[in-house]
Amino acid sequence: MTKQPSMKSESISRVRYGCAIGAMHSAVAIPRTIPIADCGPGCADKQYVSLVFYNGFQGSGYGGGASLPSVNTTEKEVVFGGNERLRELIQASIKVMKADLFVVTTGCISDIVGDDVASVVGEFQKRNVPVVYAETGGFRGNNFIGHEEVVKSIVNQYVGDYDGPKEQGLVNVWTELPYQNTFWRGDLTEIKRILEGIGLKVNILFGHGSGGVEEWKTVPKAQFNLVLHTWLGLSVAEHLKVKYGQPFLHVPVIPIGSIGTGKFLREVGEYAGVDSEKVEAFIKDEETAYYRYIEEFSEFFSEYFFGVPSKFAVITDSAYALAITKFAVNNLGLIPVKTIITEDPPEEHRDAIREQFRNIADGVSVEVEFIEDGIVIEETIRHAERKPAILFGTTWDRDVAKEIGAGIVEVSFPASYEVVLSRSYVGYRGALSFLEKIFTVTISASA
Amino acid sequence: MLRNQTVPSVNERDIMGKKIKQIAIYGKGGIGKSTTTSNLTAALSEAGYKVMQFGCDPKSDSTNTLRGGTYIPTVLDTLREKTKVNAHEVVYEGFNGIYCVEAGGPAPGVGCAGRGIITAVQLFKQQNIFEELDLDIILYDVLGDVVCGGFAVPIREGIAQHVFTVSSSDFMSIYASNNLFKGISSYSRSGGALLGGVIANSINQPYSREIVDDFVKRTNTQVVEYVPRSVTVTQSELQGKTVIEAAPESAQADVYRSLAKKIAAHTESKVPTPLEVSELRVWAGQWGKHLLELEKQNGAAETSVKV
Repeated sequence: MTKQPSMKSESISRVRYGCAIGAMHSAVAIPRTIPIADCGPGCADKQYVSLVFYNGFQGSGYGGGASLPSVNTTEKEVVFGGNERLRELIQASIKVMKADLFVVTTGCISDIVGDDVASVVGEFQKRNVPVVYAETGGFRGNNFIGHEEVVKSIVNQYVGDYDGPKEQGLVNVWTELPYQNTFWRGDLTEIKRILEGIGLKVNILFGHGSGGVEEWKTVPKAQFNLVLHTWLGLSVAEHLKVKYGQPFLHVPVIPIGSIGTGKFLREVGEYAGVDSEKVEAFIKDEETAYYRYIEEFSEFFSEYFFGVPSKFAVITDSAYALAITKFAVNNLGLIPVKTIITEDPPEEHRDAIREQFRNIADGVSVEVEFIEDGIVIEETIRHAERKPAILFGTTWDRDVAKEIGAGIVEVSFPASYEVVLSRSYVGYRGALSFLEKIFTVTISASA
Repeated sequence: MLRNQTVPSVNERDIMGKKIKQIAIYGKGGIGKSTTTSNLTAALSEAGYKVMQFGCDPKSDSTNTLRGGTYIPTVLDTLREKTKVNAHEVVYEGFNGIYCVEAGGPAPGVGCAGRGIITAVQLFKQQNIFEELDLDIILYDVLGDVVCGGFAVPIREGIAQHVFTVSSSDFMSIYASNNLFKGISSYSRSGGALLGGVIANSINQPYSREIVDDFVKRTNTQVVEYVPRSVTVTQSELQGKTVIEAAPESAQADVYRSLAKKIAAHTESKVPTPLEVSELRVWAGQWGKHLLELEKQNGAAETSVKV
C-alpha cells in the first residue's frame, strides 16, 4: 500500500489550532494559575476568542480572557528590548492579582528580539515569587507544541528537583489539550473518575478536578506517567523519565464506550500493579450501568435503522479521531470512509499514528490524511469516493456537510454551534453523551 | 521654521530637475567604512554639495569626525524618551555645514538594532526632511554585515539608489561584500538599490589591489577608488576630524576628493553577480596558495641577500 502524502499548504484557511502562545490556556486550565502574556497587542485576545470562546463557549476561567495581563509590546520594546516592561508587568501582576502560580508565555516578538525573559523571571523566582516562563513564540509551532513547553516549564522551574520516595498507585495523566479540545473539562473528569475507580490516585493536573499547584508538586512522587494521547505528552513523559526516574505508559487510544474503556482500565491496572479483582469489579459496575442505557437505546436503534448512518468521516486531531473511529467502528458498526488529521502532529509521530489507524478492528484499516487547510479538507470530503452520511468535525465543515447531505457532529475546535459545559465524550459516561449527540443529529435531520 | 515651508513632493522635485542622490555605503565592521564615508561627505561638501551623513550603526559613531570627535544624540535615544519625534531635533550640523544624523540603537545584547534602523530611516522619510533641507546627496553609513533585514533597509525600494561597499583585500571583508551583493541582487527584483562599485580600502600591497580587482571582475562590478592606508587618517581622527578638514593639503585628502568626484558623477549602477559560498572559498583558497608562493619567493630573496 502506498503512503498517503501529507498535504501541507503554504497558507492555511479555516485554521483548526492556535499558535504556540495559545498554550497560555494550559496555564489557565490549572486552578488559580494565571498566565502573563509577553506579546504584542492582540495575540492573547485572538487565542482566547478562538480557542475558548468560539469553541464551545468555554469561558475564560480564573485568570484567562480579558483579565489576563499582557506586555502589549510596542515598537519601543522591539527596538530597546522588552525586559524592563516585562519586569514592571510581573511586579504589577503579583501585586494586584491573586494566583498560586504565574506563567509567562512569550510571543514571537520577544522570542525574535531575544529578550532575556529567563533572567527577568529568574529575579522573581529568587524572591520566591511563584512564576515561571515558557518560550511559546508562534514560529516554534502550534498550541500543542506550546502546551508541552508550558508543562515542562512548570515542572522544571516550579516543581523542581525531587529524589524522595515514589507513591505506589499515584499516576500523572497527560492527555487531551485543554481548551483546544472542546470537551476537555468533562473528559478529564471522566478519565479521573474511571482511573480512581480501579484504585489509582490520579493527578489529572488540569481542569476542575485538579488540585492546582499542590497537585503539581506531587508530580515527581507519582509511580508512573500515563500518556493517554496519540503523541501529545510523550515528550513530557520522556522528560519526567529522565528528571524523576519515572516510567510511563503510553496508551494512544482515548477510550470511548464499554469495550474500549474496559480494555484501557485492564491495561493501566496491570501496568500499575492494581489488584485485578478491584479492576474487574469496577468494570462490572460501570458496564451494568452503561448497558442499561444501551438496552433502552437499542429500541430506537432498531426502529430507526433506515435513518442511521452507515458511513462516516472524521476531521479532527489525531487523538480524538482515533478515539472516535475506534468507537464508531467497534461499538456502532459504522464504516470509516475518510479520516483527516488536522493538528499537524510532529513528523516523528506520524508513522505511529498511521499504524494505529491501520488496526482499528479485524479487517478494518484506515489510511489517514494529514491536512490542515480548510479548503483542501472541504475538497477532500467533497470528492471522497464514498460519501459519508455523518461528519465528526468542526464548525468549518458545516458547509460541505450540508452540500453532501451529511449530518455533522462538532467534536473539535472550532465548535461554534455547541455550548459545552461538563459534557464528555469519553469513558463510560461520555460515550452515552456521545451517542445522544450522534443520534440527535441523525434524527433531527428530518425535522 | 523649516517645518512651515511648503515642500514640493518628490515627483515635483524630479520635474523641477533636482533629485536627491541617496547613497548607501556598506562594509564589514572595522574596515574603515565610517572613515571613508566621513571623508567622502566632507569632500562632497567642500565641492559645494549640500550633504547629509546618516549613520546606521548602533555604535552611533559614524559622524564623530565631522563634529570634532563628539557624539550626537541619536534618533532612537530621542524616541526612547518620547513617542513622537520631530526629525529636525536629531539633525546636527557638522564640518562645513554637513547635516549629521545617527540612527542609534539599543544597548549591546538587547532589543533589535535592525528594527531600530528601520524606525529611524522611516521617521525621516515620513517627515520629508530630506526635501525640506534641500539636500543634494545623502550618504547612509551602514553596518555592512547585513545580518538581518533591518540593515538592508537603505537598499530597499525607495531609499538609496546606489550602493558602494568599502572593502580591503582581507577575505572576511570580501566575504561581507559578497553577502551584501546577494542582498542587492535579491532586492533589485523589487526596485531596490543597485551596486555602484567597491571602494578598495587599505590598499598598500600590489597583491591587495590584484585581489580586489579579481573579486570585482568575478562579481560584475568595478573598483571606484583605491584608498591607501595612511597615517594622515589616524592623525586626523585623533583630532576628531576628517582628513579633508585636518590635512586638506595631503595626498590622502586628494584621494578622497577624487572619490567624491567620481561618486558625484556616478549615475549607472548595476546588479552584481555574487559568488556562491563554495565558489568564494575556492577562490580564496587559490589566492591563499598564490600569496604563500609569493611569500616563499620573497623569503628566499631576503635569505639570499642576508647570506
